[in-house]
Amino acid sequence: MDDDDYWNTSETKAHAFSFDDDVLTPQEILAIGQKPSGQKEDSVFSSSAISTSRALLPLNSLVSPKVLDLILLAQSGKDPTKDTKTDTEQTVAVTLKRLVLGRNCSLHIHRSLKSKTELLDGAIAIGDGNAILTVVLFLIQTLNKKLVYELLSSRHTALNHYISFLHNEGKVTELTDLLTMLGRSQEAAIYQFHHYVKTQGNNIDSLLRKLANLLANHLNQPGADTHQGKMVADYVKLLEWQKFANKSELFNKSALHCLAYCCAQHWSETAGNMMSPMTVCQRQQIPPLQYDWVVLNVHAKSNKWDIVETLFTKKDWLGRTTVSSHIPIETLLARLCELQASKQLLATCVNKIASAEDRLRLAQMYKIHPVVIETLAKQKDRIALTNYKMTLNPQSEVYILAENTLRDNSIKWKN
Amino acid sequence: MDQPLSLKLASLSLISQCKLQNILALCGDKKDLIIDPTLIKPLERICGVTWLRQNGIDKIYKMEPQLGTTANTNRVYFIPACVQKYKCVLDQISSLLSQNSSLADLGCFHIIIVPKVLCSYDSILESKGLYGIVKLHSFSWELMALDEQLLSLELPFLFKQLFVEQNHSLLSSVAMSLWSLFHVTGKPKVVFSLGKLSASVLDMLEVYNETYARDFLSSDSSHEIGAVILIDRNQDYPSSLLTPATYSGLLSEIFNINCGHLDLNVKHTKYKKGKLDLGIQEEQATDKNTVMTLDSSIDSLYGEIKHRHFSEVLSVLSSKAKLLKNEDIKALGIQEMKHYVATKLQQVALFKQNLVNHVLACETIISEMSNKFENLKLTETDMLNNRNKKSNFTFVDENFGTDIHIYNSLRLMCLLSLTQGLSYEEYNTLVSKYLLAFGYKFLYVFNNLVNAGLLIQPTSIKLSLNISNLGNLSDRLPRWQSAFQAAANKLKQLPSQPDKVGKSSPSYVFNGGYVPLIAVLCNTILSADSLSEVVSKLSALSDLKVGGTIAGRLKDGMETLNEKLSNMKLNTDLEFGCKDAKSMSKVLKADPNFGNAFPLKPKSVLVYVIGGVNYAEIAACDVVQTTTGSKIYIASDCVVSGADLMLAAS
Repeated sequence: MDDDDYWNTSETKAHAFSFDDDVLTPQEILAIGQKPSGQKEDSVFSSSAISTSRALLPLNSLVSPKVLDLILLAQSGKDPTKDTKTDTEQTVAVTLKRLVLGRNCSLHIHRSLKSKTELLDGAIAIGDGNAILTVVLFLIQTLNKKLVYELLSSRHTALNHYISFLHNEGKVTELTDLLTMLGRSQEAAIYQFHHYVKTQGNNIDSLLRKLANLLANHLNQPGADTHQGKMVADYVKLLEWQKFANKSELFNKSALHCLAYCCAQHWSETAGNMMSPMTVCQRQQIPPLQYDWVVLNVHAKSNKWDIVETLFTKKDWLGRTTVSSHIPIETLLARLCELQASKQLLATCVNKIASAEDRLRLAQMYKIHPVVIETLAKQKDRIALTNYKMTLNPQSEVYILAENTLRDNSIKWKN
Repeated sequence: MDQPLSLKLASLSLISQCKLQNILALCGDKKDLIIDPTLIKPLERICGVTWLRQNGIDKIYKMEPQLGTTANTNRVYFIPACVQKYKCVLDQISSLLSQNSSLADLGCFHIIIVPKVLCSYDSILESKGLYGIVKLHSFSWELMALDEQLLSLELPFLFKQLFVEQNHSLLSSVAMSLWSLFHVTGKPKVVFSLGKLSASVLDMLEVYNETYARDFLSSDSSHEIGAVILIDRNQDYPSSLLTPATYSGLLSEIFNINCGHLDLNVKHTKYKKGKLDLGIQEEQATDKNTVMTLDSSIDSLYGEIKHRHFSEVLSVLSSKAKLLKNEDIKALGIQEMKHYVATKLQQVALFKQNLVNHVLACETIISEMSNKFENLKLTETDMLNNRNKKSNFTFVDENFGTDIHIYNSLRLMCLLSLTQGLSYEEYNTLVSKYLLAFGYKFLYVFNNLVNAGLLIQPTSIKLSLNISNLGNLSDRLPRWQSAFQAAANKLKQLPSQPDKVGKSSPSYVFNGGYVPLIAVLCNTILSADSLSEVVSKLSALSDLKVGGTIAGRLKDGMETLNEKLSNMKLNTDLEFGCKDAKSMSKVLKADPNFGNAFPLKPKSVLVYVIGGVNYAEIAACDVVQTTTGSKIYIASDCVVSGADLMLAAS
């Protein structure tokens, strides 16, 4: 193929990326270069370590040996060996500094509520999360819960650290207590939810039980976000359906995934049957757009174009075939093209577009030649049609169609 | 000390090496290294297998829960600071001990944790009865030079912890990396911080400085870095959410990039993997792919095209190929041929290989993105400028209903939410569609996005509309400018004619739609004549603080941490290492160029993004660097794309 041809074919000439015409084709560049050999290494380390391929400065010209010792000391979190005099005075500031530096220190000398509070506020002020969490956990150990919660309720940063800790440790009950006490029942519900899907993911019965509790105790309570409650209720419905279907491959899969399964395996099942696609669609209230999308993809991928056509085309009152789908026409066209639909179907689809300009643009983009020819003829644009003819393969059917159209005497060409 | 800075930065790996050596020396003579797979690539930047052998590592294993016996009793685990992974290692050690209790007294278990051992790890160790049996070591490796002027700590889990979970336990590692860096470059005269975390880093940095000051760190200000800018990721989310238009930016959209290495998987791209799985997708091939190193000092061709608008890339590659073609070696004589083989052949072969890889990458980008790119960019630009809200929502809603992507669709939703807002109904429509497509189990993702500030959850009118806040009704009426647009306009981030933007505007990285905040900051700081000019030009930023050696002069006497803490009130900022820019107005009125830091000398800036920088931002800074005739170094805890932020919330 010629250079220019390559770039002007609509497949490669990307719409948004305009290229100079004087460029080689990727194939030509690939030919000048060579096919990648592909490093096939199976050891844990690849043999070509970056550090060896670059000349580096010697360490001592980067930092002095003394500084290097200091950097190593800072990483280890050890006390400098020279001054063995440990801080005799254990003030809040001294403790916090040791925490930030990662040195070991005991918090237990801080026994009064005042110094505990100062410790917490100091850690928050410095902003080192490690210090904040350490202090919070110390407070939990040494103060009663009510006091700790009181301290935390006015200190957001500290509270977030504690929440993150409980969440990561999987301490859901404590987390729920804490958040409920602070009047944040909604968040508690979400954390619980997250925990359940993470830990019970493979046990449908137990997951169902936990979700039912969650709905009863949190999400169906007055003041709760109704949409969140609905989503969890829909989850329960889907899990119940999956339990009925009893197929391990559908287990905890999404609603659209289940719908796709039903479309592929139980397409002809009558409505009302549990495995019918319509049942899943209605149960989970799948919007028509998403339903159409799944149906299209499932049937097209398994080459059942007859189903696609009966579903997405209909005859209008003049007996012409037209496309009817909830999928916006441009999106539908792009997808049909990717799925390699027949030219016929593509033409029907692009003909649905009312604006001649858009129709022409898309027909050219997806190489639906008859539509391009017809549209140009309607616009009486002989020059454009002549040019377009040149891009077509001579002797092809569409080439002849273009020629015949150009010769058609009934068209009053504007140019 | 007169070595070029880029070479010094590349050599930081030697300090990391030294740090690791120091730890390995404490782990016995002959030992096995059991490494978490995510740490392999970063470790390769620090040392090679030979070096590990020299330091007593006998065999290397990938960490997996079912790992059986290994060659040596001495085990050195190497894992990131992640509680789950840590617990997994401890369980493995416990099970080894239950088989052979005599191991307990040998001191043969070591865990190296990157970047540091957290206090809670000690208590976990104690609670599992392993205290004294297992030794924990912090390994805070230095910033890694991934590319010229690009440094990364390579801690990809930091964004999730810092912003989604709001757990700042590892924030001190950022401070530590800067502290080390300043030992090499000298202390910058002026430091700006934008955002809470950045300010905290400066406070912690000051704690290190105060502790380790002594006479080591020279008090001279840096001759190589004029100013440092620290910024929290959440100060500019749109830059992460927008689709980049540069080559490197699009590479990171389509391919997995780990530690500067791109996995050239043209069949199963990152983009494809996120699409709706209807159970009818083809099986995944597991063959190994070519790996491309995104480093201009190794691949000069990459250096030439990385920041280019994608539309130009193929023509550059084509012209390079033509040059190669013209270099006809058949015309060479024997002697010339010998010379060619000895000197140039290898270089040419490498160049050809790189050329081929870049072409393959380009082709993949075109085939995956081209027919969506234009509409996507137009919609994004409309969102930024608060135009056509209804059709923008329709665009997003259609995307959710059809060709939905697990990360990129969320990203669009977030962008719309931050720029134009979503109503309660719109928000829930999108949530429902997303959950139908990917599973209800992802319900928590939206809460995570809200927590990270990536998404704003609208409240139901029914819930919030009671007498007491009727006054706020005006807040809900449509406005011609959202808070986002107001701030972005003040900072001149929104070009009025995106389609006419030339290459001299940093906004080209988003097709002319938006100038990343860090480019605005760099430009202002590099072209200002006084500190007061910087502060007034950036007055739209409420969280701006000033630190560095000039802030030291603002301290009342020599205030130590001790004094500072005792004078502090509840819920105020510490301001130990920095000062609020607005509070400096008095000082600046008297002396507009307080500290004599401006115009910057040397004319170079280091930008450190906490929570991940992206390739579009890096390219935008490159433009500023050219137009201001300066040097801009970029550092971060990781280089991430918008999809990576969504992944962190999932």
